[in-house]
Amino acid sequence: MIGPAVAATGELAPATPSARRLLGYAALPLTLFAALVAALASVPLPWSVHAAWVPSLGVDLAFHVDGLAAQMLLLICGVGSLVFIYAAGYLAGTPRGGRALLLLSLFLLAMIGAVSADNLLLLFVFWELTSVLSFLLVGFSHEQEKSRKSAQQALLVTGGGGLFLLAGFLLLGDLANTWSIRELIAAAPHLVDEPLLPLALGLVFVGTFTKSAQFPFHFWLPNAMAAPTPVSAYLHSATMVKLGIYLLARLDPAFGQLLLWDVVLVAVGSITALWGALHTLRERDLKRILAWSTVASLGTLTMLVGLPNPAAALAVASFLFAHALYKAPLFFVVGNLDHGAGTRSIDHLTGMRRYMPWTAAAAALAALSMAGLPLSFGFVAKDVITAAKAEAELVALAGHAAVIVGAVSVAVAAVASLHVFWGRDNASRDAHPHEAPWTMLLPPLALALLGLLFGIMPATVDPLLAQAAQAMAPELGAVTVEASYDAAPVLTALALTLLFGGAIYAFWDGLHRTLERASWLDAYGPAAWYQRKLQALSHIAAWHTRLLQHGLLDRYLLTVLAVVTAVALLALFLSAGRWQWPAAQGVSLPLAAAGAIAVAGALATLRARDRFVLLLASGLVGYGCAALFLFAGAPDLAFTQFAVETVFVVVAAAVLPEIRGRRAAAPALPPPARIEPLKLLVAVAFGTTLSLFLLRAAGLPFDTALSEFFGANSVPVAHGHNVVNVIIVDFRALDTLGEIAVVAFALLAASPLFKLARVGRGGTP
Amino acid sequence: MTPRALMFEVAMRALYPLLLAASLWLLLRGHNAPGGGFVGGLVAVSASAAYAIAFGARRARLRMPLGPPALAAAGVLMALASGLPAALLGLPFLTHLWTTLPLGVVDLPLSTVMLFDLGVYCCVWAAVGGYCLELLGAQEHNT
Repeated sequence: MIGPAVAATGELAPATPSARRLLGYAALPLTLFAALVAALASVPLPWSVHAAWVPSLGVDLAFHVDGLAAQMLLLICGVGSLVFIYAAGYLAGTPRGGRALLLLSLFLLAMIGAVSADNLLLLFVFWELTSVLSFLLVGFSHEQEKSRKSAQQALLVTGGGGLFLLAGFLLLGDLANTWSIRELIAAAPHLVDEPLLPLALGLVFVGTFTKSAQFPFHFWLPNAMAAPTPVSAYLHSATMVKLGIYLLARLDPAFGQLLLWDVVLVAVGSITALWGALHTLRERDLKRILAWSTVASLGTLTMLVGLPNPAAALAVASFLFAHALYKAPLFFVVGNLDHGAGTRSIDHLTGMRRYMPWTAAAAALAALSMAGLPLSFGFVAKDVITAAKAEAELVALAGHAAVIVGAVSVAVAAVASLHVFWGRDNASRDAHPHEAPWTMLLPPLALALLGLLFGIMPATVDPLLAQAAQAMAPELGAVTVEASYDAAPVLTALALTLLFGGAIYAFWDGLHRTLERASWLDAYGPAAWYQRKLQALSHIAAWHTRLLQHGLLDRYLLTVLAVVTAVALLALFLSAGRWQWPAAQGVSLPLAAAGAIAVAGALATLRARDRFVLLLASGLVGYGCAALFLFAGAPDLAFTQFAVETVFVVVAAAVLPEIRGRRAAAPALPPPARIEPLKLLVAVAFGTTLSLFLLRAAGLPFDTALSEFFGANSVPVAHGHNVVNVIIVDFRALDTLGEIAVVAFALLAASPLFKLARVGRGGTP
Repeated sequence: MTPRALMFEVAMRALYPLLLAASLWLLLRGHNAPGGGFVGGLVAVSASAAYAIAFGARRARLRMPLGPPALAAAGVLMALASGLPAALLGLPFLTHLWTTLPLGVVDLPLSTVMLFDLGVYCCVWAAVGGYCLELLGAQEHNT
């Protein structure tokens, strides 16, 4: 439903909107953000809203905002506001720019719904909405094949994962006998011994891993970089890809004590982090470098959720926040570079500080935080992560993964700031680089400065992070980011990552060349597997289309009749019932005559050689049946049948010469009618089956309740003597409304085909 | 152009309004005797189809009150609208309301049912008729 609506509104807006016009869209996130901050300041968490939606299915419009949800809401609306402002500048003058902002607005609302929903099915609806909107946004530049392919991939992976998630939700809801997430968490201790719980959790894992780009489903995220930069910064870094992490964190209090939960999350998170870090070094496109480092960060987050100790909850909350505060500005910076210098390749980007001083400043500030240097919020987050890991008895893999990811982050931060902006300007570029407009400078600077502010004064965000952590680990009690400060191990870890990171940065080009030669990564990675499966799918589709869609009308009819006969016969013999020959009734002359007409028509079709005669003979069958209805006491049915038959014969007769004309090369007369054994068999079997059905039906007692009801109520309730018409327009009016809507839609569906046929023949469309 | 059938054309000039009148009569009598929106609409379709065979699909389309897609949509909207008064009064959607219009000599019963059945009539006429006219029109372009 969204698609056509968006298409319609997109057409109404001017084709190439100005930045000022697009800025209007930012009013939505700004208003929501202001309201959210005001509410957080005045109303204590948690907030709950509940309204019945589909009570019979237990699907309620239940919303519950606790610390974790509030943190996500702040990210969605806060980063969202800046993304909207940035997008206004970035998309100004782009065809259909308004549509992108409209889609972003819808996405914003869907995200708000997803993180505040307290009903599993409601959450699923919003979850899939974000997938669909992501598809539309990734495919925004749909003129490019790459965009279309990436959009398709994003939808297939995340949307397909969403179906796994739905299955998992249904199982969980069934086990816990509730759709409410809070009740599910409360009921979780009783579910531990359920044999189906591992299956349910496995399905939820697939759903969350696809959404949050975890190995082996991660490959859609770097490809989704085909989207416009604000979309990448918002959906594929700050919010949507965090939704999977959010759900895992939300369910952590319920299942965090299970070994399965911890092992899977820590293992998958670590592998993802390593895989992402490895691929970061294989890229030359700055945006893809950031995308792969996002994959690595998401892996780290998943691993942190999997750590069983409560302190990890604080680490998740801090890192969620820190990542949004430094990764989104870096994406903005890439967008500015793309906009101002016309390239994203780090081979062509050096010394940009001279041309883009403000962008360089934003990049430097964000890079400080990404590298986790002191006085930045990234440092605070890194500190909390180190503390959490020190407490947990880590598997070696997870420990090493964290160090390597940290080092690669440092290297990426150095590339994005030092290499691009501070190096000597000796790269060959076509365009003369220029600074971006204010709309594209304010957002990265604001976010990066916030990252610095929170780093210097962690107390400002402390209450929020503590509440978010408590939502994940209720036993945590009151903690603060500052309280977990422990200088010695943190500084050691910092020194280690800085050292490694510096080394990676220094040898970046060499590492890149080595890794680029490792082509087996491309040939055997999950992305290659996806590609092969997708091709296999289209081969299967082509094969079975060739098999079934041969375009021969008589074969279609043959297939349909044969299948119907087989299924009906099966049903007849499987069902219990008795056969009864209908009681002999005196057959009236008109009835017999009508029957004779129909039979004569049917026999004539067997002998007819000319299409015209064939048409008339088959029309005779219809008229015979209509007469039969008329004399059997169903005049309405008879009238309709007469009218349908007449229109069909008249129109078909008028169109027949056309078909003949087109087969001018064929002999004037069709080949003499031959009775083919197979067709004869199917026809006889079909007729016999129908007769058997009638015999069986005659054996059933006739329930007169409905006819008595309609007979008794037609005049007093509906003021009509014609019961058939009264049923159509009054008793079952809603059905009729649906039917005529279908009839109207059939015309709408057919008219483009007609138009196509006209154009094909060279007529006027 | 296909060769003209003069007798048929002359006959169709008179037959077209007659067929439409018959279809309306079927529509109106439908509540108490055999007939109704569906049958009436189909008879109107046969009128349009016959007219198209005589004068061409384009002229037949012009003689319909609206273009086929618009008329079909109008039909569905009429049927939809007929259910709204009941919904506004708090009754279940599509509960039909009746009233009588005194005309002095006789009282004329009026109902939202009429609007509903008129919607069915228009939708069937436009959708099935539009389809037939396209088929018939395709032939014209070819020759």
